[in-house]
Amino acid sequence: MGQEPDRKNLSSKMARVISEDLEFSGFFRILDSSAIDDDYLVGLTRDKIRWDILSIIGAETVVTGGFHISSANKITAELRLFDAVQGRFITGKKYEGKIDDYRLISHRFSNEIFKKLTGVEGVFNTKTAYVKNTAGKKDIYIMDYDGSDSKRITRYSSLTLSPAWSPDGEKIAFTCYKDGNPDLYIKDVYNAEVEKISQKRGINIAPSWSPDGKKIALTLSLNNGNSEIYTINLRNKKLERLTHNWATDVSPSWSPDGKKVAFVSSRSGTPQIYCLDLKRGRIKRLTYEGYYNTSPSWSPRGDFIAYTGLIGGKFNIHIISPDGGYSQQLTFSQGNNEDPSWSPDGRFLAFSSNRTGRKEIYIMRADGTGQKRITHGGGEKTDPAWSPF
Amino acid sequence: MKKYLKPCMAIMFILVLMFSFSCAKKQVRDEGVAEPTRVGAEEEGIGEGELEESDIDTTGFKEISESEEDLAAVFKDIHFDFDDFSLRPQAKTILNGVAEWLLKNTSVQVLIEGHCDERGTNEYNLALGERRANSAKKYLAQLGVSRKRIACISYGEEKPLDPGHNEDAWAKNRRDHFLIR
Repeated sequence: MGQEPDRKNLSSKMARVISEDLEFSGFFRILDSSAIDDDYLVGLTRDKIRWDILSIIGAETVVTGGFHISSANKITAELRLFDAVQGRFITGKKYEGKIDDYRLISHRFSNEIFKKLTGVEGVFNTKTAYVKNTAGKKDIYIMDYDGSDSKRITRYSSLTLSPAWSPDGEKIAFTCYKDGNPDLYIKDVYNAEVEKISQKRGINIAPSWSPDGKKIALTLSLNNGNSEIYTINLRNKKLERLTHNWATDVSPSWSPDGKKVAFVSSRSGTPQIYCLDLKRGRIKRLTYEGYYNTSPSWSPRGDFIAYTGLIGGKFNIHIISPDGGYSQQLTFSQGNNEDPSWSPDGRFLAFSSNRTGRKEIYIMRADGTGQKRITHGGGEKTDPAWSPF
Repeated sequence: MKKYLKPCMAIMFILVLMFSFSCAKKQVRDEGVAEPTRVGAEEEGIGEGELEESDIDTTGFKEISESEEDLAAVFKDIHFDFDDFSLRPQAKTILNGVAEWLLKNTSVQVLIEGHCDERGTNEYNLALGERRANSAKKYLAQLGVSRKRIACISYGEEKPLDPGHNEDAWAKNRRDHFLIR
């Protein structure tokens, strides 16, 4: 079953998903195979592949894929990875699922390829949460890391902001005004359960989960409107205050080892990035360049903190080492680039940019290359939050 | 003598209020910003407040329409400098008028909304808006208005008054706005 045009279409779609995954990773260059006559050149299995022709075009690895549409909307796909230089089979997988899940299957195999060739877990099956503005109301959506398959998660007809994933990927914390005040909530991603976890007078904003999932760092202003960083213990809801300063302290981000928290403070006069050592209680300023540095996001690898810095009238994404010794600007575009969020392997960043005239979500590699837009159409989109594995 | 037997059960209600805001439905845009010419935040006295849940809730407050001329003349927006929450002389003049009116009309409560212009990070602006609202609250309290009659809420850059992307619009958006009930 399945008509010829559909088969060709599905086949090129799957190839495209895998190509784009691998291309984006930065480790692979995808050769254009359209000049080669597929049927003549490759079958699915090792004995049917014309290695000599592949080596002429310079291919080092080859991916072959075939599928069989078994019953209504069900697909069985066989995907194989070969070392083209040695003519050797590396790995192969057989997947069974719905035709509509072809992207999922393709991403799974991209992960398989990536893991076999680099030894590292791929992020191609991860998701990104974000905030979309529709006529002044804001809600949270979740899409695939590459922008596909966006699903709406909240529907409060209010302002819903700052999504933050729990380390196990099962829950999202966020701030919402639905009860008349910016309060903090936690929602199960996959079902409708929502719990309000902080409703102090003033703002309850900017959640960041501890790496062990037991606490959330947040910003409260119950002290006469002065924003400070606190942690809330999710088991007993007890608050612990982390900052004690007349200045505005906001936007905490935990280090992956759970020992430090990066945050924004205006204690030196303008907003800058600081780092608090939780055990020693010591606070160190990290950013010294520019008047306005905010939105810290600590890489899951621990090696860098991404942030938004205002230089020359524009906001751009930068990274800085946790000791403040090394920093680098990653985006240089015409518009404003804000809200950086790391992939769980610390190799990529999602961010919000209005370089095309409206705010959309972009992704890039951690060195600033490979910047591409992944959302299109509808209201402005901000606050990307890349899921865990 | 009749005896009333009271039921022993306690019934708990959990009310979730769906509250929609009727403010200008404009989309927020983002464009170039000039380097800020003023740098610095004012040092505020350090006051340790009690850890309260919410004192007065922020629901049920009403916008003052232009047709309510007397009220509109008193409860004007007050404006702030970029990245600042200190009260300018004109702001204080307006607040003097607000305090005077509130001290005469003692059954009325006021909600102070703190707002920012679109530049800068949303989270930082929520904190800044909170500061702006509380600056006005503190000033009114110093003039004798009971704190229990004053609620604050920050909207950061989320609800601009003017959707423009220029100094003029930004200046209008850096404001405290008053509602009453």
